[in-house]
Amino acid sequence: MQQAGSSGSETEVTWEDQQKINQFSRLNNRFHELEDEIKLAKETNDNLEDASNELILTDDDIVRFQIGEVFAHIPKDEVETRIEQMKEVTSKNLEKLEEEKESIVAQMDELKKILYGKFKDSINLEED
Amino acid sequence: MASTSASAIEGTVTERRGIPAAAFVEDVQTYLSQSGLDANSALAFFQERLQQYRVVEMKLLAQQRDLQAKIPDIEKCLDVVAALQAKKGTGEALLADFEVSEGIYSRARIEDADSVCLWLGANVMLDYSCEEATALLQKNLENAKASLEVLVADLQFLRDQVTITQVTIARVYNWDVHQRRTRQAIVTTES
Repeated sequence: MQQAGSSGSETEVTWEDQQKINQFSRLNNRFHELEDEIKLAKETNDNLEDASNELILTDDDIVRFQIGEVFAHIPKDEVETRIEQMKEVTSKNLEKLEEEKESIVAQMDELKKILYGKFKDSINLEED
Repeated sequence: MASTSASAIEGTVTERRGIPAAAFVEDVQTYLSQSGLDANSALAFFQERLQQYRVVEMKLLAQQRDLQAKIPDIEKCLDVVAALQAKKGTGEALLADFEVSEGIYSRARIEDADSVCLWLGANVMLDYSCEEATALLQKNLENAKASLEVLVADLQFLRDQVTITQVTIARVYNWDVHQRRTRQAIVTTES
């Protein structure tokens, strides 16, 4: 995370500056959360891909599909439809997460410019 | 130690659900003379505040993890009830494989289901019609999501206070270093 202040320089920190620093910290936290969520969503997507590939290969009519904690016996076609739906939901979710991540990166860059502009060496906004 | 006075900003929150807000220090010199503290005592006070914030943060993070685990569970229950309801009209039984013990599965044949039993906690299980069960689970899900939102907002507020305190510590420390240097410079010029 970032630290502010170093060799006793005289730049004063105003309330607006403090709020910008707080905002940067919030964005940074959300950025890390998003990275984790994106990783999870990608994994889910991959699993669903694998599942639908397996489905094409199998010649059973009834497939055991997990609902909750149990595996229900469901006809292959219905399982295919369900998996397609789940894939759509996950890809939309993934898209949304990626968009949010881009927006956050842009906002963080903006704030970095402003804060480095005022505080130069007295502030460190890089990942440690 | 009583809450130290610092130039307060109009319209800011002084605390949120038991978490005291960190007062923003406009000017270090003014703050130290108003509160009558020297730099070291002020630093000690802020460090202690930081520790308290950390403790609360741990607690809130634990609560957040619990809620985040609970929400998918409720969603799974809703899926199962929906599956049962879907089968109701058809007259077929639902065959399901379930885990009896780790690694051991058995097959269940679920005939037309008019009602489901929901585990309410505290060793209590109640019978509900599918519609009532869906409604109850839905309500629980919404409550859990709402609590999570409030919790996340609390955490954000807390982290802001931590950041403010860290910045204040840095500024007081720098001010102190600056003071020592100036005094040192005066002493050397006088000698």
